[in-house]
Formats: sequence, structure tokens, C-alpha cells
Amino acid sequence: MKIKVCGLKYSKNIKELTQLPVDYAGFIFYPKSPRYVGEEFEAAIPALFPKSTRKVGVFVNEELDVLLVKGEKYKLDAMQLHGGESVEYCQKVKEAGFEVIKAFQMNDSFQFNSLDEYENVCDFYLFDTKTENYGGSGRKFNWKVLENYKGSTPFFLSGGIGAQDAEQIKQLSHDKLYALDLNSGFELQPAKKNADQLEIFLNKLELNTMNKDKYAVDERGYYGEFGGAYIPELLRKNVDELQENYLKILASEQFKKDYARLLDNYVGRPTPLTKAGNLSKRYGTNIYLKREDLTHTGAHKINNTIGQILLAKYMGKKRIIAETGAGQHGVATATVCALFGLECIVYMGALDVERQAPNVARMKMLGAKVVPAISGNQTLKDATNEAIRDWIANPESFYLIGSVVGPHPYPDLVTRLQSIISKEIREQLEKETGNPNPNYVIACVGGGSNAAGAFYHYLNEKDVNLVAVEASGLGVDSGETAATITIGDIGFIHGSKTMLMQDEDGQITEPYSISAGLDYPGVGPLHAHLAVSGRAQFLSATDDEALNAAKVLAESEGIIPALESAHALAALEKIQFKNDDVVVLNLSGRGDKDMETYMKKFN
Amino acid sequence: MNRIDQLFQNKQKDILSIYFPAGYPKLEDTLPTLQLLQAKGVDLVEIGIPFSDPLADGPVIQSAAKQALDNGMSLQLLFDQLKDARKTIKIPLILMGYWNTVYKFGVDAFLTECQNVGIDGVILPDLPLEEYQEEYKVKFEAAGVHNVLLVTPQTTDKRLAIIEKAASGFLYMVSTAATTGGALQASKEREAYFKKIAALDIPSLIGFGIHDKASFQHAASFSNGAIIGTAFIKALEKGNTSEFLESLQ
Ligand SMILES: Cc1ncc(COP(=O)(O)O)c(C=O)c1O
Repeated sequence: MKIKVCGLKYSKNIKELTQLPVDYAGFIFYPKSPRYVGEEFEAAIPALFPKSTRKVGVFVNEELDVLLVKGEKYKLDAMQLHGGESVEYCQKVKEAGFEVIKAFQMNDSFQFNSLDEYENVCDFYLFDTKTENYGGSGRKFNWKVLENYKGSTPFFLSGGIGAQDAEQIKQLSHDKLYALDLNSGFELQPAKKNADQLEIFLNKLELNTMNKDKYAVDERGYYGEFGGAYIPELLRKNVDELQENYLKILASEQFKKDYARLLDNYVGRPTPLTKAGNLSKRYGTNIYLKREDLTHTGAHKINNTIGQILLAKYMGKKRIIAETGAGQHGVATATVCALFGLECIVYMGALDVERQAPNVARMKMLGAKVVPAISGNQTLKDATNEAIRDWIANPESFYLIGSVVGPHPYPDLVTRLQSIISKEIREQLEKETGNPNPNYVIACVGGGSNAAGAFYHYLNEKDVNLVAVEASGLGVDSGETAATITIGDIGFIHGSKTMLMQDEDGQITEPYSISAGLDYPGVGPLHAHLAVSGRAQFLSATDDEALNAAKVLAESEGIIPALESAHALAALEKIQFKNDDVVVLNLSGRGDKDMETYMKKFN
Repeated sequence: MNRIDQLFQNKQKDILSIYFPAGYPKLEDTLPTLQLLQAKGVDLVEIGIPFSDPLADGPVIQSAAKQALDNGMSLQLLFDQLKDARKTIKIPLILMGYWNTVYKFGVDAFLTECQNVGIDGVILPDLPLEEYQEEYKVKFEAAGVHNVLLVTPQTTDKRLAIIEKAASGFLYMVSTAATTGGALQASKEREAYFKKIAALDIPSLIGFGIHDKASFQHAASFSNGAIIGTAFIKALEKGNTSEFLESLQ
């Protein structure tokens, strides 16, 4: 079965769709349609599709001359005639060299013998729902009437097909059913298609044969519809400079050598993959812990800072700015700045300065300047705002961001630098079990860097369940939460289009979690994409669930986890594992910094 | 004709533009402040849409925005407050804010409201030019609302050429690499930058760091005029707006 996606207009949206097996792309040239391409539609836009995608112009009772001019200008392959066009008209369009798709409006009493005279002049029919306004109603017609169609011209099935219709479509057995015409059922807004939803639908129909890397960032910095670089012009040059350089530098032999050497000899990689025997017994399955807690400085954050400091060095930067929540990224940044002799300024929410005191002391001892952020809730969001403001005022500085957030290229840059985690998991698991793929990978998500690293090499491995765990604070409905994916919606934060906790006026909501590293109202755009596309499952854990999970790990395995990682551990309670499942849990950091919080709870 | 275009047609020198956040210092102050500004001969006003996380702003505008939000200010309320503004206010009005609030409001609804109340332009610093051109330009133009673009001392010549082509209304020339509220330092490079932008085919106003008569005159000597924000907000806070505006004359 072929797929036609109709009512297209926007180039960015079309670029997303080129990742999908679209056989026909429909552009509406009927001015009364809400999906009308408009007067100034550029000829370059349909051409974004590859040659293999046939471009269809949709017209309603248009002057023949106008139709032919548009056909020429936009290099259309086919004409969909959606009004009361006569046989003679169809004939002329066909003679001009276009494929003809003649639309007819169906209702229960449709007389198919009225089509007989069109048989030889049309390549295809298109059966749409009968409405007053030439289709576009978003409603389906009763597909039973198709049984009455006995003609020989193949047809497109149209009218209100949506994601929920996959099963019913699989049951259709008409031998002239040639293609599905998809439009309003897969839209974010008129003429803007939901590529993620389309993809899931095509997967359900088992039509998605393309094997592209669907979870990689595109050249403009988008994961599906999320990402981009929503920054003031003041930062444009800096961000452009980074966009232009990061892939080149990461791919250079020098970088690869320096990065690998530092990860081995300084960070202490590879980190072990520990089989957690007692924990496995407790949950009746096979649990492996990826021990990022054993890196130098005690969390995965250092994988990223080592890479970015090299980038900064190659780009000739002398002054490093960073934000930090739990202080782990701040410590990891202060550490590499000390190592490379660079000036280091760390912004940290004033509340976090208080609740993560040991890390503040470490940063200071390492020679960094710690600046408390006193706006908002005085947590990670506010620290990030201040770091970005510093960058605006000091454009020659390097902003060393701590998670897979921020404007493009940061989410991709940090994902790549953290991907060492899943690279090692694959090798270690293969040695241990003979299979590099586990059944589950579980990680906590603040901005999402440790999860991105743990998921990365599994993103296109369908048999691996990816589980991301957000912090729900006092509970997702309590108003005191940081469970962005669960309660947020689409918005813009720190230069990225992503899921966001916000009120109805678009003001960003102050988050809450006991864990400073997860206390963030946004989430990296990759994760927004993984959530919306259904590739990853998003769970959440409350403060108490995380605290208890930390205690369980300490007592059963002799490992005190960071409060952030404890949220991932709490998810073990929420999933029904099988005996022979292999579960990898990314233990993103160690709990030294959280001892005061743990003592308060358990003493 | 759009009032911004009319302004630049009638006046090429010493255009004074004032920025202040809606709903500040008191919720109902928006319209009275506009009336005062018009009465004192201000040529153009930028009304700030308060946002929780104003990335490009310094402490004064941040805290003014926070106070406005605490007062209960919102974009919808701003449009309500401006409903009858055009009965008395004849000078061009610009809304300045961050993209998230406009996106959440809905671009179509936003533009309809802009048309209804008589808004002539917007400044949305964090809406990238490429996104604007691809997704929204047609709508803004149809609504007769200028999308005023920023240039900065860091803007490369290559990008400047793109911005110049896309610009509408005037160019907002950011004086220095800084968030709002700093002080403008004169320098050779800065003057070269001002002159380069002023030589373009589109009018420009200089903003960021303009805070008194001297800095206004200095900036205005290189362009069509200048924009004062933080210094006016401080006057709003102190309650000496009339004196402040008169001191600029
Ligand atoms: C140990 C640890 N895990 C997780 C996080 C959350 O960050 P991300 O979601 O980017 O991995 C932090 C952040 O400070 C952390 O310190």
C-alpha cells in the first residue's frame, strides 16, 4: 500500500517527513482550504522531497491554464482534481503529461456507475468523505460502501484517517485499494504534520521500511519537532561558531586521541558493569548497574566536561562558564578547568548552594568561582539563566553546558560525549551474557544527559526498552514536582523547543524535587522526541520513593547512590520484570554529596 | 500606513523610544504610562510582555518583570488594557517579549489582538529569523505587524546582509555585548559598528545602555535615534518619570 501525505506547506516540516516513506506528497492550491499553500509558496519546497516521492497538486474547479502553470512551476507529477471536473477536463490534464487523480465524495448511497465515463482518463480515483466544501472535513465515510466499487481504476482512500485507524485499515481487503491519503488526522496544526505520529502509524501498518537514524539530530538541530536554537541575536555568533566547529573537532584524530586518553587515565574508564545480585533477587530478574558513580568526581558529568574542555581548548577559549544543579557538573567543570589551567565561573542556584554544600566546597578548592543565582526558585533553571546572561556579556567565553539541553548543537554535543556509557554497556554486556542488548535500560532524567548517554547506542534497537525516570517531587499532581514530560507541554526554554512545565500564560513554572540535579522545568529535546514518538517510556518517582530506593541499594549492595540516580532505582518497583530479563540501570553518580539529606531522612 | 513607517518617514533624527514592562509598577499603570510618554513627546514606545525567564535582560528589567507578574500581568490582560488605547494614543506601539509567551498564546490569536488594539510591531529576540521567515512571516505581514530584528556588535557581515534583507520597520541596534541595563562605553570600534549599521538602507535605533541625555545624544548622532529602557524603569520605580523625560529634552 502506498502513502500519500496531503496538505503540506512548511519546509521544516517537510524535511521531517522526508525521513518517512512518503510515496505521494500533496500540495493544496485551492485558496479556500485552510491548507492552501498560499500565493508566495516557493518552488523549492516540494523539491525537498526526493524524486521517488511524487508531487501532487490539489485543485478544485481551477482554470485549466492556471493549473498547468502551477504544474510547471512546482514540477508536479500528478494532479488531484477535487471538484466537479468533467471527463474532458481530466483528459486535457492527462494530455499535458500529468497523472490524474480524480476525487469523488462518498456517502452511503454513492452510485459507483457514475464513475464509468472516467475510467479511461484517470490514473487513480480518490474516495473522500462527502462534505459541503470539497473534503477536508476530518471525518471518515462508511468504508463499507467500498464493497460496491467494482471498477478497474485503483483508488486512494481518503477522509479523516487517523492514528487510531491502523487496525481497521489492515482489515481492508479491496483489491483496488492503492494508497492511503493522510491529512488532518496527523496534524499539529493545519498544514503542519505530526511526523512522530505518522511514523508510529506507518510502523503499525508495517510500511516503515526506511532504516534511517530517526533519533539523530537533523542539520538544523531538531529531533522531530524539538530542538533548534531559539536564542537572541546576541548569542548567534557564538552558537554559529560552535555549530560550525563541533562535528569537525569531534571527528578529528587529535580530539579522539586526547579524549580517549583522558577518559582512560584521568576519569577512570571504562567504569564497571556490576551485576547486582541481591537487588536482582529482590526484583526477580537480572540487574546490572553501570557504575558512573566510580568515575573521577563521582558522576557521569565528567564524560561531558572532558570533551567540552578539549573543544574549548581547540577553539582557543580562555574563560569557561557553567551552570550546575547538584554541583556535580560544577565540580566536573572546575576539575577540567584546573587540569587545563582555564578560568572557571560556575553559576549555582542559591538554594542549591545550601543543599549541596560539599560540592560548593570542592569547586572552591579546585579554584572555581561559584556565583549564587538569586532569581526565581534559585535552582538549576535560574543558574542556567545566569550562565547564559554571562555568555551574552562575555561572548569570547566558552559556555560549558552540563546536560543535553540548550540551543543546538549542545544537545547533540553532550549526547555524543555521554554516548561512551552505552558504548561500554554493549561491550560489557556482550562479554557477560553473550548479547549486547538488554531488555531494559533505565536512567534518571533531569536535563537528560546520563539517560541520553545510556540510551544512545540502543535508540535504533527496537528490542531494548528505554525507561527514563523523572523526579515527581511531592507527586505529579502536587504542584511541587519536576516531572516535565508527565505534566508539561511544548514550549521554549534555554534556547530549545522542548517539553516544558509552564502555566497557561506561558510563564515557566518553578519545579521542585529533593534532588537538585533533577530540579529542572524542561528536558532535553531528544527526550521530548523519545517521549512523543513513544520510543522511550517515561516514569516518575517521588522524593520518598527515591530516598527509599537509595536505602535499599545501600543495604543490599553496599553502594550509596546519588539522589538523582536513586530516582532511576525507584523505577525498579514500578516495572514487572521477567525472570530472564536483563536490566541495565545507569547509576549516574554517588551519594556523598547527599549524605546530609539521607541522614535527615533516616536518622 | 503602519505608524512605525510613518514615524521614520516624518522624522529621521533624534527619535526617542522608551521601553517599559506592562503592568508595572502597578497592574493598571500600562495605559497611564503610555499617555505620559506621548504627552512628553516620546516618539515610539516598546511595551514589555513580562516573562518569567527573560534571558537577555539585566537585574532591573528582570525584577520589574517579576513584579508585573506578581501583580497579575499577562499577555491577555495587556491586550485588554490596550483595548481603547488607540482612542488617545497616536504614537507607534511595539510589543517586546519572549517567544514562549507568544507561542503559548497562539500566533494567530496574538496577531488578531495586535490588529485589534493597534500594535505596529513586535520585538521577539529569541525567535530565530529562519523560523520566523519560514513559519510566520506571511502571517505577520498580513496583519501589518513589523517584526523588528536585532543586530549586535557580534553580528557578522554575512549575517548582517541576511538581516538587512529580512528587516522590517527598523533595525534594533544593540550597542554592546551585554544584557540590558549596562552603561554604554564609547570606543572606536563601537563607533565603527554604529556607522556601518547606520549606512544600511533601513532606519535604526540604538538600545542597551542608553540612560541619560548625554548617552542618548551620543547614540542618536550615529543613527535615527535611541531606546531607553532600564533608566526609565528606575524612574517609574522612584516615581519621577516626568522629570526624567524632561531631562532628556
Ligand atoms: C548524579 C547525577 N545524576 C543525574 C543528574 C541529572 O542530570 P542529567 O539528566 O543531565 O543526567 C545529575 C545532575 O546534576 C547528577 O549529578
